[in-house]
Amino acid sequence: MVADEPVASDLVRLGVVPRQGGLVPLRTKDEVRAALETFNAYVLEVPARHAGIVKDVVQAAIPDLKTADFQHLRRVVQFKYLPVHIQKKYRPPHPSRPRGDSGEVSSENDVAEDDDAARYFLISPSSAIAHAELVDVLKRNTPFADSSKPPVILTICVPALAPTSAEQAAKWSVEYWPISYKNTNPYGPHPSLVARNAAEIANDAGGLLGLADAVAEQTFSKGFGEKVACVVVDRTAGINEIIAVTGDCRWRCSGNDAPQRDGPGNVMAHAVQRAIAMVAKKRLRVAGHDPASKPSPHSFCDSPLTSLEEHFYSKDNIPSNGYLCVDLDIYLTHEPCVMCSMAILHSRFRRCTFGRRMPLTGGLTADNALPGKGGYISPTTGLGHGIFWRPSELNWKFLSWEWVEEDTAAMVKDSIKDTLQA
Amino acid sequence: MNAKEKVYHERFMREAINMAELALRSDETPVGCVFVKDGEIIGRGMNATNKTLNGTRHAEFVAIAGILEKHPISVLKETDLYVTVEPCVMCASMLRQYGIKCVYFGCWNERFGGTGGVLNIHSDPSVDKPYPVQGGIFREEAIMLLRKFYVQENEKAPEPKQKKTRELKTQILPMDIHAPKS
Repeated sequence: MVADEPVASDLVRLGVVPRQGGLVPLRTKDEVRAALETFNAYVLEVPARHAGIVKDVVQAAIPDLKTADFQHLRRVVQFKYLPVHIQKKYRPPHPSRPRGDSGEVSSENDVAEDDDAARYFLISPSSAIAHAELVDVLKRNTPFADSSKPPVILTICVPALAPTSAEQAAKWSVEYWPISYKNTNPYGPHPSLVARNAAEIANDAGGLLGLADAVAEQTFSKGFGEKVACVVVDRTAGINEIIAVTGDCRWRCSGNDAPQRDGPGNVMAHAVQRAIAMVAKKRLRVAGHDPASKPSPHSFCDSPLTSLEEHFYSKDNIPSNGYLCVDLDIYLTHEPCVMCSMAILHSRFRRCTFGRRMPLTGGLTADNALPGKGGYISPTTGLGHGIFWRPSELNWKFLSWEWVEEDTAAMVKDSIKDTLQA
Repeated sequence: MNAKEKVYHERFMREAINMAELALRSDETPVGCVFVKDGEIIGRGMNATNKTLNGTRHAEFVAIAGILEKHPISVLKETDLYVTVEPCVMCASMLRQYGIKCVYFGCWNERFGGTGGVLNIHSDPSVDKPYPVQGGIFREEAIMLLRKFYVQENEKAPEPKQKKTRELKTQILPMDIHAPKS
């Protein structure tokens, strides 16, 4: 017997309707920053054969200049590679004579075209030297010292940080200044790593999110919580072994109290918190320490409460010697709140995929929002935390995707309010 | 903070330190806390991540779980937290969602602190009301407890690091060096 898609057939038996769509990797905090930050820089038109001399003059005038800080900006550029708006500044389309290179067709330069004789040299950030001082220095040195023509310096806006993809480099080269792309991503996971992982999980992601939908429906219909849920899987053996599924239980309150639907409810009973707790309890059980012998406080809600939760919790399908949630993946109906995003990070998850972005409460996306009055958020694109990938600040990182429905028109707006902490 | 307030806050932070010491004796990361309403302790907690194999069982979670056995959730809006180490990003968000009144802590957490050490979850834009924080109460003691723990062995970690060669450092740098990053 060959089981082609054990997970898929399992899910069909459970009545799960897979979602149709695809994965889009989240941008990291630094990628968002890199895409937005710019500085002003000086550009100088200079005869090609003097470009080297001018470079030395500039370095001598600005000894502290660290060209490594703007390595992504091409230093010396031909006219034809300049963005159109800069070309127009140096060569207005009419009628004034182009300056600079008319008499400077270099003998060393066997391409004798007019355009090729001039080069456009990115001198430095404008913060490195005052404009007047720069003009003064250039005028005292070759080639401007021997020429009646003054140096023509433009101040242009350029991206402050290196591009994170070839597409971005191409776009910036048109919008700002010719950019070099080194096929790396200093601000996030390497594109090939993201692509490889996305390819690995893409086929099953729709089914697992469909399972999360079904889990959410069960806890919601019992009145335990909001229609939010998650699924934890182990894919280290090449197929998805489902370790735990949990729905939100924030309204299932402690003790004998009637459910309290006002306020935040029981924050610790968010789906992610429950899932992490169940993974831990499973490990204890498999290791022979029966967690049922020492029940945890009621408000952790860390025992299965629905048929789907019970179905997966009852399987002893996890190694006892694993550490936290290392090597596990998590699928969520909604972008998790800051608390749950950090719980995923604390638990050392490997990969995370969520169904719907939560711009007012989500902790994973890095896209920025505009702060409103008094610390409250104004409804824009996101909180900007980007908790999944901040390796210089937080002690773990994981790959994250959001799910985009194939047919966006068919997307039904769920019952979740934008202000909900998922 | 005047002298009278100092005595008041130090009394509760001492209780939090006691919980952290209990954690250390139980081979847990020595972080302890107490929740205080109207001058009375309504809950105590210590880190329990090793015993439970659950990386989210921080002292604040453990204490709140105990509180909610006896009190309604809304009690937290009238409650202050005293915790030996700055709440992490996760706990900082949890406390804000529950509507905690104020957070007092000992030392900053430069690895994943959520109230100034790394991020500012207590005051950043959010749908939930911000809360005030005050750090530095018995800071040196909180740091020493952590250092004592880090020279012990954590056998649950995936590849146990060789800690036998580690020495317990006793010198604590002045405040400005161990202060929040931003």
